[in-house]
Amino acid sequence: MNRLIALLSARSTSARLALAIAGLFLLSYLLLGAGMYYAVSQIFAQDLHEVIRLDSADLVEMYHDSGHAGLMTEISERTASPDDDNAVYALVGPHGRLLAGQFATLPDYVRNGDNWVEFDERNASGVVRVVAKLQKLGDGSTLLTGRRSHNQERFEALVRRTSLFALLAAAGLGGLIGWITARWVAHRLESTYDITRRVGAGELALRIPEDDSDDSFDRLAKRINAMLDRIQELLDGVRHVTDHIAHDLRTPLTRLRNRLEEMRTEHGRAEQFTSELFATELDAATAETDQLLATFSALLRLTRIEAQTAGANDPEVAMQPLALDAVELYAPIASEGGIVLDAQTVPCTLRGDADQLFQLVANLLDNALKYAMRGTRVTLHLYDDGDAIFLIIGDHGAGIPAVDRERVFDRFVRLEEHRGSQGSGLGLSLVRAIAHRHGGSVALEDNSPGLRVRVRLPRAVAN
Amino acid sequence: MRILIVEDDPHTATFIAKGLTEDGHTVDQADNGRDGLFLATTETYNAIILDRMLPAVDGLTVLRTLRGAGNATPVLVLTALGDVDHRVEGLRAGADDYLVKPFAYAELSARIDSLLRRRQSSSVETTELRVGDLELNLLTREARRAGKTIELQPREFRLLEYLMRQAERVVTRTMLLEAVWDYHFDPQTNVIDVHISRLRQKIDRGHPKPLLHTVRGAGYRLGVRE
Repeated sequence: MNRLIALLSARSTSARLALAIAGLFLLSYLLLGAGMYYAVSQIFAQDLHEVIRLDSADLVEMYHDSGHAGLMTEISERTASPDDDNAVYALVGPHGRLLAGQFATLPDYVRNGDNWVEFDERNASGVVRVVAKLQKLGDGSTLLTGRRSHNQERFEALVRRTSLFALLAAAGLGGLIGWITARWVAHRLESTYDITRRVGAGELALRIPEDDSDDSFDRLAKRINAMLDRIQELLDGVRHVTDHIAHDLRTPLTRLRNRLEEMRTEHGRAEQFTSELFATELDAATAETDQLLATFSALLRLTRIEAQTAGANDPEVAMQPLALDAVELYAPIASEGGIVLDAQTVPCTLRGDADQLFQLVANLLDNALKYAMRGTRVTLHLYDDGDAIFLIIGDHGAGIPAVDRERVFDRFVRLEEHRGSQGSGLGLSLVRAIAHRHGGSVALEDNSPGLRVRVRLPRAVAN
Repeated sequence: MRILIVEDDPHTATFIAKGLTEDGHTVDQADNGRDGLFLATTETYNAIILDRMLPAVDGLTVLRTLRGAGNATPVLVLTALGDVDHRVEGLRAGADDYLVKPFAYAELSARIDSLLRRRQSSSVETTELRVGDLELNLLTREARRAGKTIELQPREFRLLEYLMRQAERVVTRTMLLEAVWDYHFDPQTNVIDVHISRLRQKIDRGHPKPLLHTVRGAGYRLGVRE
């Protein structure tokens, strides 16, 4: 059913396209035809007028040479045995009486005057259009010289007839071209249409075939595929988070629930349950809830950052003061742990979110200080190699074995030896998400001994 | 003080109202934007706690309408949307402070106190802060306790200044991070605690009455009260 509806609506798009093309085709044909018809008619009319003018001038000449009687004779002769079947002549007296010529009747308005006239002549064969020139003569009579426009009318009828056939042919041809174009477009769109429909229905791995022709359809296909890739990436992220939420939040929640249940039971045996113990238990439960809430909001933040992309419109952030602020924030912790926190920085700027970048530096310093041995040195090195900005934070702690270096970026992954210590297991995930969101990358290296984290971030390009 | 709570979740609303009443405030409640806007415009409040996502009229619209009508009551926006962009949007709409759910009551209470206080003292520019026998001169940037000069690092000075401006009120770690370090981020460990203990060394050591107190489950308070 869906497919049918889809096909119909696809058809209607094709049909509209076909109609539009055919319509345009016809319109241009009609404009061209009308222009031609007008131009040819004009030429015909001019020719006719020229012939009549010459004929009329001839007769007027004769009137001047031979006088009224001579003209009368000439007209009678011409009327009796015409050279041209279509020629008409008449001489009308000053009072409107027909003196010579073949007309039985003449419309009143052609009986005198000095101009061009057109009128219909009625005779046995029907109605014929006459074009004539009126010429006032010296004796007050009016000479009419004209032609029946048989030929012109025949031509015009022919043009009309031919036009009609041509019109039909053009309509047919236009329709055909429209149909073929529409078919071609529909065909090109069909796979795109079909794939997007199936992806929408849940087959997320499908992609539109690209033919690398780089025409509009191919570019559209590439765009859509890139979009689908991004959607897939985000969905995978969500799925990953959901799995881990189920896995890792359930444990502390269970612990919390058990604790509360235990308190309820203990409370029943009131003699053992002092208010001091009660307060301790409640504090522990609150602390556990806080930890859960912190993990949860870190998770939300992480997911949000992962969904963001680097934008050219992000504000410029000066990295040096930011890194030094972070160092200053952590300096007391370092000195309490007997660790020397050593910073080497240069001024450099990048585009992004200052709060997120501060979080990145803080998380890395936090980690380094947590795992560094007493009496060692934690180094922060910020430099710009002309191509990118590098932030390198190194410690001389236990380090991370090479096999685990990729895994520790995953959410909630905490190496066995650190399981017991404080932390959500989201710190490095957040660092990587922030680096990626700024178009950068994070690598973990051996600091022999210890861990060295290398963050590469793109420099701000002036715009 | 009179405070209006506009919050659609009855649990949260009751929780906040109970706390604020215990703190000695008078509380009115609305559970949707339309009623909230009506109360806010017809009554006079010292502060408004406004949830961002509300039925009928959403929080930011209520806020913009209030500000558009020239109402300058301090507004604390509560939200489950904690992104920087959202925060900026909220502050731009005219919010005085922004608190992300879930929050501890102590955090809300501290921020409300800070808002009410800011309101009262904003008109007077002081050059010297004084809490008990602790003095801080904002011009010479000198700190003294019982007449004895205390050497402070620049950041410690800002920390102390903030604590003294909020004297006798609880300030949370997040408030300190925002006000003194000016970054919105989640510290993994309590870095602030170390800074506070250093400051405490400097101002309280050798004096019989400590001024800088830790408030369990909330944050810190600087003041002469025990």
